[in-house]
Amino acid sequence: MSLLAILGVISSAIFSGTSLLYTTLGETIHQRSGIVNLGLEGIMLISASAGFGITVMTGSPYLGVLVATITGGLVNMILGFLVVTRRANQLASGLALMFFGFGLSALIGKPFVGAKINALPRISLPGISNLPILYASLFEFDILIYLVIPMAFLIWWLLFRTRWGLGLRAVGENADTAFASGRNPFLIRYQALFLGGMLAGLGAAHLSIAYTMNWSEYMTAGRGFIAVALVIFSKWHPLRAIVGALLFSGAVAFQLLLQSSGVQVSPFLLDTIPYILTLLVLMAWGGTRRHAAPASLGRVYQGGQQ
Amino acid sequence: MKIKIYPIIAILVVTALLLAACRPAAPAVEEPTVEEPAVEEPATEEPAAEEPTVEEPAEEGPCLIIGALHGGPITDAGYNQAMHESIMQIKENIPCVEIIEAENVPEEAGATSTMENMIQQGAGMIIATAFNHQYPALALAEQNPDVIFEHAGGWEMSANFANFFGEPPDTWYIMGVAAGLMTESNKLGFVAAFPLGWTNTFINAYALGAQSVNPDVEVIVAFTFGWGDSAKEADATNSLINQGVDVITMHVDSPSTVLSTAESRGVYSIGFQSLAAQDFAPEYWISGIGFTLGSKLTWLASTVIDGSWEPIFLRCGIADGCMEMGPFGPNVPQDVQDQVLQAKDGIESGDIVVFTGPVLDQDGNVAVAEGEVLTSDLMSSVDWFVQGVTGSPK
Repeated sequence: MSLLAILGVISSAIFSGTSLLYTTLGETIHQRSGIVNLGLEGIMLISASAGFGITVMTGSPYLGVLVATITGGLVNMILGFLVVTRRANQLASGLALMFFGFGLSALIGKPFVGAKINALPRISLPGISNLPILYASLFEFDILIYLVIPMAFLIWWLLFRTRWGLGLRAVGENADTAFASGRNPFLIRYQALFLGGMLAGLGAAHLSIAYTMNWSEYMTAGRGFIAVALVIFSKWHPLRAIVGALLFSGAVAFQLLLQSSGVQVSPFLLDTIPYILTLLVLMAWGGTRRHAAPASLGRVYQGGQQ
Repeated sequence: MKIKIYPIIAILVVTALLLAACRPAAPAVEEPTVEEPAVEEPATEEPAAEEPTVEEPAEEGPCLIIGALHGGPITDAGYNQAMHESIMQIKENIPCVEIIEAENVPEEAGATSTMENMIQQGAGMIIATAFNHQYPALALAEQNPDVIFEHAGGWEMSANFANFFGEPPDTWYIMGVAAGLMTESNKLGFVAAFPLGWTNTFINAYALGAQSVNPDVEVIVAFTFGWGDSAKEADATNSLINQGVDVITMHVDSPSTVLSTAESRGVYSIGFQSLAAQDFAPEYWISGIGFTLGSKLTWLASTVIDGSWEPIFLRCGIADGCMEMGPFGPNVPQDVQDQVLQAKDGIESGDIVVFTGPVLDQDGNVAVAEGEVLTSDLMSSVDWFVQGVTGSPK
């Protein structure tokens, strides 16, 4: 296997892993605050269609990314209203939001099927552009790719090095205790949902405006669920999520390389790798205290009523 | 008590939404749904007194109602758009025809109910364009002997069910000639949905065309296992480019992602399905081929109107106007254009027959023996690649 092929797999993994990583970071924040959001798929679809539509109409991919990001945060407010204010079941609400997203995104995206957009431009870093063109084009990324790893560090910093992050994690572990120590679990969960939704929106924006340059119905093809799996795989840690997202998208890139080298490996088997890894992680660390999920994950917070 | 009710309501809502989601493509189908056809039908047929009221609008109304259904969106710049534009040409050529169209009907159950619906609305001819529509259409043809069914690309035949299609293999050979002349790395990339017989045939024809002008050429195939999974298409295109491919083409529904990705990385591309594909690659477009079945479909509709329709297995190629070649891109040199047009002439005149033996497969076995020609019913079940193709045909 040549150097070019290996670099190619890395490049492909970075390209296709970016949207996954943004979404995984979003879900990490949700789950750290105690909310399982199964509606990610729908949020991504609505954001992708809205962002793509705006890009078609205005010709500006940056505006499209902005709209997709804000849309993601706003759509998540529906979930917030259901599971925080109305204290509804999180799993049911998330699934409802997902199906809502299927329908709404199809409606929003309908006029833009087959439209051509100005995609998010690729920026070449000074050192890279001196390489031969074949290598240089491997590592010419758009702005969202350059920002994704700093974003993971930013989220890590927010969650583990700020008072706000401490409060958020406290709510995820035990909302009553957090309330007793002066935090407002309702507000914190809304904030977590808005921020996480914006990150999912960013992931969706990368998918439609930068990576595929296309809108098609159900284009996320399960990425919202892969993100949920990756959160478990990365044990609710933003920096481990980088590894998870790259590992998964690397597996896809590697499968395509094997396939087009004439090697017979079932692509369906390779597609199950992230889920197999998640199952293995759950088997290995499932019960141990140190690596376990946020203690009140999925639990409805009842207290603090005025 | 008050608090416990919300999970229950939520679950009910989800159940309702789940059931709604199981309904076939409800939001996307454009024409209105008709309820309870089974009850209404006998009611209008039995009493003879009602006959005039039934016939009256029929005489004033259209001479033929055609129900057309597509597996995907008709603005996809790909297969569905090509089929949609072909069908719309019937209306342009025969103004008294009325066309009811439904898009985004990918699966069997949805196709059945959509077609039943169209027949309820008086459709005398059904044109089903997706691969999955064939068997639902065949089943309905048996129940509705007065309705003519045409399927795009199928193989089943009955008294009122036939099929039509272009002949892409010949045009793929021409595109192969263009790609073989344009490549510098001698590696051509092919993004395909599934290793189906016809797709394998297209890839083989493309490879043979390229080899006819450039014996060192290699065609590398990547399957996405989905007709419209754009993220996978982008993955596959990038993966091929990373392996040194400098011409990309594809056999998926919409060309937009594959061609846009190739364009963004400065790689040449060749379009397929609809000639609208060229919009996605303004600079690195070589050429492309599209389905232009309008005139044949017009003829089929006219035979339905005058009652002379007969089930025929209709296949027509570039010489009949059923396939068309797109314009050359700005970076294609004149001598390449000349050689490509020469190959096109050869195909149209019948001097070039693509799968003339001996053709060897990847392992060097004889796939088409000397003196023989691969017939189109064998093309639909090809499970081998010619020499010079890298990838797995199964």
